Amino acid sequence: MSNPIEVHGLVKTFGSTVALAGLDLELAAGEVHGFLGPNGAGKSTTIRVLLGLLRSDAGSTTVFGLDPWRDATEIHRRLAYVPGDVSLWPNLSGGETIDLLLRMRGIDPRGTRRDELLQRFELDPTKKGRAYSKGNRQKVALVAAFAAPVDLLVLDEPTSGLDPLMEQVFNECVAEHGAEGTTVLLSSHILSEVERLADRVTIIRAGRAVESGSLDDLRHLRRNRVRAEVSGVVPDVSRIDGVHDVDVDGRVITASVDPAGLSGLLAALTGAGVVSLTSTPPTLEELFLDAYRTTP
Amino acid sequence: MNLAGTRLLLRFGLRRDRVLVTAWVLVLVATVAVSAAATGPLYDTEADRVAAAEALNASPAIVALYGPILDTSSLGELSMTKMTVLYAVFVAFMSVVLVRRHTRVEEETGRAELVGATAVGAAAPTAAAVLEAVLASLVLGTLAAVADIACGLPVVGSILFGASWAGIGLVGAGIALLAAQLSSSARSVGFLASAAVGALYLLRVIGDVTSATWLSWLTPFGWGTQLSAWSEPRVWLLLGYPLLAGALTALALRLRRRRDLGAGVIPDRPGPAVGSPRLRDAAALVVRQQGPALVGWTVGIAVIGTLMGSIVPSIGDLLDTDRTRPVIEAMGGAGGLQDALVFAIASVVAVVITCFGIGTVTRAAGDEHDGRTETVLATATSRRLLLLAVGGAAVLGSTWLLLVAGVATAIGRGDGLAAVGASLVQAPAVWLVLALALLLLSVRSRWAVAGWAVLALFVTVGQVGPGLDLPDWVLGLSPFHHVPRYPSEAFAWRPEVLMTALTVLVLGVAWTRYRSRDIG
Repeated sequence: MSNPIEVHGLVKTFGSTVALAGLDLELAAGEVHGFLGPNGAGKSTTIRVLLGLLRSDAGSTTVFGLDPWRDATEIHRRLAYVPGDVSLWPNLSGGETIDLLLRMRGIDPRGTRRDELLQRFELDPTKKGRAYSKGNRQKVALVAAFAAPVDLLVLDEPTSGLDPLMEQVFNECVAEHGAEGTTVLLSSHILSEVERLADRVTIIRAGRAVESGSLDDLRHLRRNRVRAEVSGVVPDVSRIDGVHDVDVDGRVITASVDPAGLSGLLAALTGAGVVSLTSTPPTLEELFLDAYRTTP
Repeated sequence: MNLAGTRLLLRFGLRRDRVLVTAWVLVLVATVAVSAAATGPLYDTEADRVAAAEALNASPAIVALYGPILDTSSLGELSMTKMTVLYAVFVAFMSVVLVRRHTRVEEETGRAELVGATAVGAAAPTAAAVLEAVLASLVLGTLAAVADIACGLPVVGSILFGASWAGIGLVGAGIALLAAQLSSSARSVGFLASAAVGALYLLRVIGDVTSATWLSWLTPFGWGTQLSAWSEPRVWLLLGYPLLAGALTALALRLRRRRDLGAGVIPDRPGPAVGSPRLRDAAALVVRQQGPALVGWTVGIAVIGTLMGSIVPSIGDLLDTDRTRPVIEAMGGAGGLQDALVFAIASVVAVVITCFGIGTVTRAAGDEHDGRTETVLATATSRRLLLLAVGGAAVLGSTWLLLVAGVATAIGRGDGLAAVGASLVQAPAVWLVLALALLLLSVRSRWAVAGWAVLALFVTVGQVGPGLDLPDWVLGLSPFHHVPRYPSEAFAWRPEVLMTALTVLVLGVAWTRYRSRDIG
């Protein structure tokens, strides 16, 4: 069976603006795939092409082996989509909107998990669309998406506006669907969010995939920045394997560390009497810089 | 009250509304000028004027619509019959639109929050909205007075008439500001304000046509007549407008201070927790969205049609002057005149009904702009079904309203089915305009708003074209120009079939384009 999503050399331009410049993206059946990139990288444009809302200018795009432009409705029967910026009908209640979206996908809401999800997301379904906050509008779309089993979930920055508690519920829901074999495309600009859920990750920048692979493959991108202050003699840590860009300022050491070099560095620091230690995961910016360096 | 930043917001509001306000003011002033210039030559002698005014006063339907004429010998009062009360409604609506747009709409979209978080005072957005409406009303009143004077009407009367229009504008602003405090939904605010304007108008209707004349003194729409601008004016009555507007504004401001931004005094009623099984596809969604509006339109069109229809039988007496008699006889006597009036009513009402259809199309464009269309099209809903639902609601809803208008006019006239026919023959022209609006939506969702401009263009061509002796092909641009003048003239198949065929063609192009364009 072919992959649920196959995109090769996708090009999309708006007038003179090039939104996608030959993007490649592959999702294997049953995987949770992180789709990472800064704002304006082309994540939402890619998703809209996958949904058949935008027409591609070049390249090949298939979803479930079908052409999303020609066979949109057939594809949509098997997927659920949560847009990044959810807009609801002002005069429909949340419950009505959820049921409408389910019925529009050909699903009878009565046989679904909607009530359970409403409870888990702590969403009041009787409020009118105009009365919901951004986070609650997001929840309406999420409940409609998670309520029934589908083959593919397309989630475009779905946690923007959710508080940490609700993010936790969201993570559980994605994990449950993942366990049931649902393929999930999860777009985000936050690495840690994707890291927790995704089996594989594609990083895009300026309309092109710059990196794609399992999280282990991308291990080299996960170089932490360590800052430590010692009470004794400052050790020479630059010889330790996996430690880079060492900078010493008085008794303060800062360095970039691969996961493999972390224990060696810690041993050296402990020997020198460490008094403070912070370790910062790479920011997305640093990650993209790394990604650029590793791409020919 | 913190008013910091009011001037900035007022300037910004005027900039946003520059086209809307200018167009609204100019159209109303032009209507005043045309009425003032056209009435004089029609009624040469005082005897003619008295006869016409008495004929107007004798018809309860006309008094209901325009109010009575107090001084039957006054040229000014006769010229401004329609303007004094009926067109004053459009003056009030200008303020309603402006105030609603800058208060509740801003709150609903969240823009008010954005502005409120800057260094502008809490009361500044409200103050700027009201000031803009006041400014627009004063300009409109002044220009209306100038137009009357320029067309040869008495100076004092013209100024008082202009002042009454400015006053109605102020009252409209007060009503809208109060309504904006009540509901958290911008649509409901529009409905509440319109209903209030309608109720005040209806109060005057009852006062003017029944023996309870004191009712007319209670409503600003009655003051326009009772002011008696053109002879022995009751100038003190002009004070009523700013007093009422001030009281409404003060009440609104009190309520505003007590409520949170974005909330309404009337709490939002909770909706059902589950959706009805009938609300299951794009078509049902459009029905749900436009259904209540269609009910309101049906009632409104039925009332207007009945009122207009009831004028028809008295039209012969109304225009019975030495000058007009030969013209009427050339048209086939009083019966011919009535037929001509039935056609005229039907063509005006058809234009009004087209607005319902265009509103349906532009609402769909709003859905696309906000991202709701994307959500719908990401389900198993096809583009074909979506466009069909929108187009179907616009076309079928308008056709239904045409039928309602025809039946209502026939009932009002109390005679024959000619009025039903006169209304229904307008259908192909209405369809064609709606097809053009759908074509605009299909080319680019942002262009759908231009549907209003297309309608305005056709109406303007039809209104001013004959007066300016524009060439036939320019007049022929408007579909309404090709509608057979039934029942004055025989029904003709050819233009109707051609326009219907053209509609189908335009819809076909729209459909092809909608299928092949990007959404959003």
